[in-house]
Amino acid sequence: MSDLLRADRLPRVAAVPALLWLIVFLVLPVALMIAGYVGVEDTIRVLRLDSTWRIVRFSTWQAVLSVVATFLLAAPVTWLIGRHDFRGRRVLRAISTLGFLLPSVVVAAGFLAVLPDSLHYSVFAIVVAHAYFNLAVVVRVVGARLELVDQRLVDAAGTLGATPLRALRTVTWPLVRSAVASAGIVVFLYCFTSFAVVRVLGGPARNTLESDLALRAFGIGDVGGATVLGILQLAVILVVLAIARSSGGRDVVPSDARTSALPRIDRRRVAGAVVVCASTVLFVVAPLASVAWRSVRIGGTTSLAAWSSVFDSGLRDSLFVSVRTAVFAGLLGVILATTVGMAVVRLGRVGRFIDVLAFVPLAVSPVTLGLGLVVTFDGGWYDWRAAWWFVAVAHTLVALPLAVRVLVPAWHAVPAGLHEAAAVLGAGELRRFLDVDVRFVRRAMVAAFGLVIAVSLGEFGAASLLSRSGAETVPVVVGRLLARTGDLVRTQAFALSTVLVVLCIGALLVVESLLGRNARARGG
Amino acid sequence: MLAVVDLVVRRGGRCVLDRVNLHVTAGERVSLHGPSGCGKTTLLHAIAGLVDVSGGSVAVAGHDVTQLPVHRRGIGLVFQDDRLFPHFTVAENVAYPLRVRGVPKHRRRTVAESWLENVGLGGFADRSVATLSGGEARRVALARTLAAEPHLVLLDEPLTGLDQRLHDRLLDDLDRLFRSLHTTVVHVTHDRSEGARLCNRAVEFESLARLSD
Repeated sequence: MSDLLRADRLPRVAAVPALLWLIVFLVLPVALMIAGYVGVEDTIRVLRLDSTWRIVRFSTWQAVLSVVATFLLAAPVTWLIGRHDFRGRRVLRAISTLGFLLPSVVVAAGFLAVLPDSLHYSVFAIVVAHAYFNLAVVVRVVGARLELVDQRLVDAAGTLGATPLRALRTVTWPLVRSAVASAGIVVFLYCFTSFAVVRVLGGPARNTLESDLALRAFGIGDVGGATVLGILQLAVILVVLAIARSSGGRDVVPSDARTSALPRIDRRRVAGAVVVCASTVLFVVAPLASVAWRSVRIGGTTSLAAWSSVFDSGLRDSLFVSVRTAVFAGLLGVILATTVGMAVVRLGRVGRFIDVLAFVPLAVSPVTLGLGLVVTFDGGWYDWRAAWWFVAVAHTLVALPLAVRVLVPAWHAVPAGLHEAAAVLGAGELRRFLDVDVRFVRRAMVAAFGLVIAVSLGEFGAASLLSRSGAETVPVVVGRLLARTGDLVRTQAFALSTVLVVLCIGALLVVESLLGRNARARGG
Repeated sequence: MLAVVDLVVRRGGRCVLDRVNLHVTAGERVSLHGPSGCGKTTLLHAIAGLVDVSGGSVAVAGHDVTQLPVHRRGIGLVFQDDRLFPHFTVAENVAYPLRVRGVPKHRRRTVAESWLENVGLGGFADRSVATLSGGEARRVALARTLAAEPHLVLLDEPLTGLDQRLHDRLLDDLDRLFRSLHTTVVHVTHDRSEGARLCNRAVEFESLARLSD
């Protein structure tokens, strides 16, 4: 970094509120929850329960199974996108990554709609829904790394006598295995802490630590026991991360840019590629289409009764609450992610510390976070639990790791040389921020805004703990309706889910188009 | 006009500039020669205020500017790699120093067009900088620097990377422009003939450092 940028005060000034935000709403709640609610008695009581270890075992094996299923489903489309150039590649990538940011409760509803009744409330349903979400992780992480593998190296192996399989094993695999491991860890963690999918598709007999935690805290009022489960979950996550880190070895990174164009699809393999494309699109679209279809089906007949009730009744209020929460979370989140991104890139050691802090929400699940916020801000002038914006605060934290990943590359892409040029021409720090920094990061800011909105619209875990009765967000209402019996309430759930899908896809289209433009602007 | 006294710049514990001294009078054009990597660019950046100095001083027009931030020094610098703002048009680039000072838009436009005429780029005002050739971009960078009306212009190998024909043409244009404006120039190059044609004094970079006792 240049001396000029190192001397700038703006990143330091901007980092202070970001740091305060993270400390007040993330570190403090988790620390107070642990310090204030974990007693020896609670710990012994919870750890002695057979059910606790049964839940740990279930959380673990369903997560492992989900990782395997995700890779099996994702492998063909990831290979197709990562190693081939073809018309519609970007569209296929966008479709295959759509599920990740759709509301978990909506996806769960989608699988209820698309699967036969005999598979409802089964491990199969949970695992397939997890694979649906995490398809995006494998396509994005492994696919991006596959793109960087220089085709000329593979060709060179061929000229030296390697069969395609041997070239794959000896050239491609060493270059992508760390990305495969990273994706595997991320998928495992998401599945291990799964909440909405297990709540909706697992039935009453199946619980992960995350869903049991919520049940204990708000179903039976056992906050101490819930906190012990939260810590147990955090401990498992940290152990998994530690194992992943220690066994990772040295990462072999391909050349910094794609040095040779991706090959076109071989004519003999066009049919296979079409099958992969079609099955991926079908897998992603079918649950969503089913949700829309089920929203107009009541008792075997077609009816718009559920839709009219959505717009006539209190259900409409939940839409307003969701949109208000999402927009507020988007505004807060984009400010937070922009300042964090700036600090990460410009502040050296302090920036790296903030970077780590911004990733804590990935390890602390939304339900744990929601629980921490509830027990921390529970009295005096800071009793904000009933405030409408409090859910948005939690959503900024849940979305922060993703939003920061959008902003950090944009901050890295700001050319230091232009700062120097502007300074030599008389521009002070603020002027340079407006004329150089903002010009380069504004698209990423809008993309992050859309991303936070999409996350907020679909977030279920924290919202289900923090939403007040009468002011619930749409996913919470959908979850509640799906838990009830009766054709009309279920159809209402599907109608609300359809609205949510449309809103989320709208937000994601903005993100995708802006990130695509950013990549093109960088020559990507 | 410029007095650099015992200037020291350290990078990662290594002394990049060790007690460098340079004096340039008003209207003088000085060419600094030296091999690649000897610290010529670092010296220019230190004079402009872009790198932290560990010792010594820089004075411009009799005022010590060592502690002043870059944007208050009144020194122009034409970078080796132009550094034009890709999100501005040619005219907006040239008018940037005026915009920073709060000059009204219509006035900025007039001044920018006049500077573009001066560097032989009349009619280029609304072009995107992405469409410029290497020589055109270099001229825009020069016009932008001159539009700031600096006390002193620093040129960091301004003709590097241009083909011989463009190189010679731009050299003639620079000479004509600096003569007419009586600009004080410090010009860094590894090409002695280029320095001899553009400047009225040539200095070996190595002679600037005071030898340790």
